[in-house]
Amino acid sequence: METNPTAPSSDDSLRRAAIDRSVKWPVLFLFANAAMWLLAATLLGLLSSVKLYAPEFLDGKWTWWLNYGRLQPAHMNALIYGWAMQAGLGAAIWLVARRTGTVLQRGAGTLVTAGIFWNIGVTLGVVGIFSGAGTSLQWLEFPVWVWPLLLTAFLMIAWRLVGMFLAAPRSEGFQISTWYVIGACFWFPWIYLTANLFLNTWSLDAPLGAIGAGINGWYVNTLILLVFAPLGLGATYYFIPKITGQPIASTQLAVLGFWGLAIFGGWTGFQKYMGGPLPAWMPAVGGAAALLLVIPAAIVALNHHLTTAGQHGMIQTSPTLRFTFVGSFSFVIMCVVAALLGTFWFGATLQFTYAEYGFHLLAIYGFFSMSMFGAIYYIVPRLAGCEWLSARVIRQHFWYSVYGISTLVVCMLVGGLAQGESVNSPENWNLPFIGSIVNSRGYLIGRTLAWIFILWSNLWFFFHLMLMVFGLGRRSVQPTLLEVHHEEAPAAA
Amino acid sequence: MTNPCKFLTCLALSFFAPWLLLVVRPALQSQKLAPQAYVKDRDGLEGVYPGKGIYRQGQLVYAREGCTQCHTQMIRPSFAGVNDGWKKGWGSDQSAIPRDVVRASTPFDYIGEPVAPLGIQRNGPDLANVGYRFTDPDGKADRNGLHVQLYAPRAGKKWSIMPAYRNLYTVRKIEGHGSPGALKFPKGFSPGKGREVVPTPEANELVSYLLSLKKDAPVPGQVVAEAAKK
Repeated sequence: METNPTAPSSDDSLRRAAIDRSVKWPVLFLFANAAMWLLAATLLGLLSSVKLYAPEFLDGKWTWWLNYGRLQPAHMNALIYGWAMQAGLGAAIWLVARRTGTVLQRGAGTLVTAGIFWNIGVTLGVVGIFSGAGTSLQWLEFPVWVWPLLLTAFLMIAWRLVGMFLAAPRSEGFQISTWYVIGACFWFPWIYLTANLFLNTWSLDAPLGAIGAGINGWYVNTLILLVFAPLGLGATYYFIPKITGQPIASTQLAVLGFWGLAIFGGWTGFQKYMGGPLPAWMPAVGGAAALLLVIPAAIVALNHHLTTAGQHGMIQTSPTLRFTFVGSFSFVIMCVVAALLGTFWFGATLQFTYAEYGFHLLAIYGFFSMSMFGAIYYIVPRLAGCEWLSARVIRQHFWYSVYGISTLVVCMLVGGLAQGESVNSPENWNLPFIGSIVNSRGYLIGRTLAWIFILWSNLWFFFHLMLMVFGLGRRSVQPTLLEVHHEEAPAAA
Repeated sequence: MTNPCKFLTCLALSFFAPWLLLVVRPALQSQKLAPQAYVKDRDGLEGVYPGKGIYRQGQLVYAREGCTQCHTQMIRPSFAGVNDGWKKGWGSDQSAIPRDVVRASTPFDYIGEPVAPLGIQRNGPDLANVGYRFTDPDGKADRNGLHVQLYAPRAGKKWSIMPAYRNLYTVRKIEGHGSPGALKFPKGFSPGKGREVVPTPEANELVSYLLSLKKDAPVPGQVVAEAAKK
């Protein structure tokens, strides 16, 4: 997929190969475990979606712990910490190493150890939720003793990345993707530590009351906007120029988009409890920031579009660009949805409905995961030393993921509207509660269908990735492209 | 911005502002929140607002079972067309058409709760005032009704999508006259012939917590205004 018009010199190739070799095991370890967690999270998502209209499903004598109250947090936390954070960290290590030109001399073992600790933390967390040690704090449902483990593991990795960034020779030029990745490495510990100290530790001695719920909402939104958004955009900003062979269209736009996100990203979240027992300015500020975030999102989208301009045909052939394109496109939609949910006109109706779940999945799967899939399809062949086995499997993964996530997001947004109209709308104040359940049932069945699609697509992805990790891919110098017969059109791509 | 130290400083500054103003300062301020005394002459009431708190021990079971995934505890105000307060059964008035709107939740309602379980989604009814919802005809708390709802949500309402929390109950053979705490089910539902369902201590704590949820104590200074509407 190396498509720079000027053939890279062999020196460059050797240097890149050395970098890739030096980070091989940490990155592959994180990707492989992430893919496993993705499969687990998808399965849990499928089960929990069924529970919403058929609570008796799988409610046997020994499976009472699979009820929605535990299944849903287990599903979301496995998806976020098991899959998304881990895939993001894997891509981050590779991106920063490549972008700063660092050959990891030693310390690969430390990174793998951090990965192992992270996985132990997530496993304990998910088992903890199922066994009844969950905290009921949104996206922080892991038992209280898990977070120091996760934070330490994260810091062990982030520390190295920031070190690489600081030690890099300045000749590497403009580094927007490094900026984003370093931003995420910098913000995550801060956000995670703040939320856990306030909500899980200090609140027992100094009760927070309603503000605590607001801080929880803040945590969820900042995690999306200041951790997943920068990690995902770091990847898209790297791979779009890489695949199309065109430099980033505008440095100024890239800088503007970055600082726009950095400045507005930390203010959102309290709008989840608009009209609630919080000082009214807090949800107002959150909603306003969510609205303003559309500007940096549009700037990033414009920049991505201009960078791809003239090469859109490559979306057909390059798996990386195809996934990255969907991810980048979803980022704008996600920011628009976030802005709508934060306004009073939509938010008052959609508050506490399935629409929020739709927004979260749009962010975590539609935007972030799709960007990560793009990154994985590029990175793994370079580390594993073999090419993806089958273009057909990649196509399956792509299309079922796209069908699945778009069905899911549409069903949840429209279903949320149906639910909200029944339960939140002033016109329906005297109608019995059954209305909201009947009106949203159809959309919940759509949600199950969507998870079946996503499960199917990720089954293929998982096996494909495992074959690569064990070095069982195609032995070839030609990358696996989607629409081109390998014999006919070689390097043109 | 080629200098990485300058870059990191800017990152820190951009995040420091919302972190301080949205999280740290409000969190510190919320700890200063203290119950307010009613003024007898003005409010016609004695004692302090918000009065009796929640039963915290049961809130732990509420958190553990993930009730917040589907239940909110937050009544929204009636401005701009948002009025949870009129929903049937969401306040102290359990009639089909409540006479008064239930007042919106205030920060005082959650004093002493480490993190208020305001809720993630509203797939089930709001529980801010659920303590009023389970009462006998003679006005006493209906613990049995709440237990039945937790053990077999579809015993009464066929359409309910609430999970059955059977893990909080023990099913056993009836011996002698049966246990005094055994659940009494509505017609058409039976846990099995010759069997009874007994709540565990956790179930009793959860029920005590739910019955303690009555977050509509009159706000000092607004009592007269509310009484005037009646």
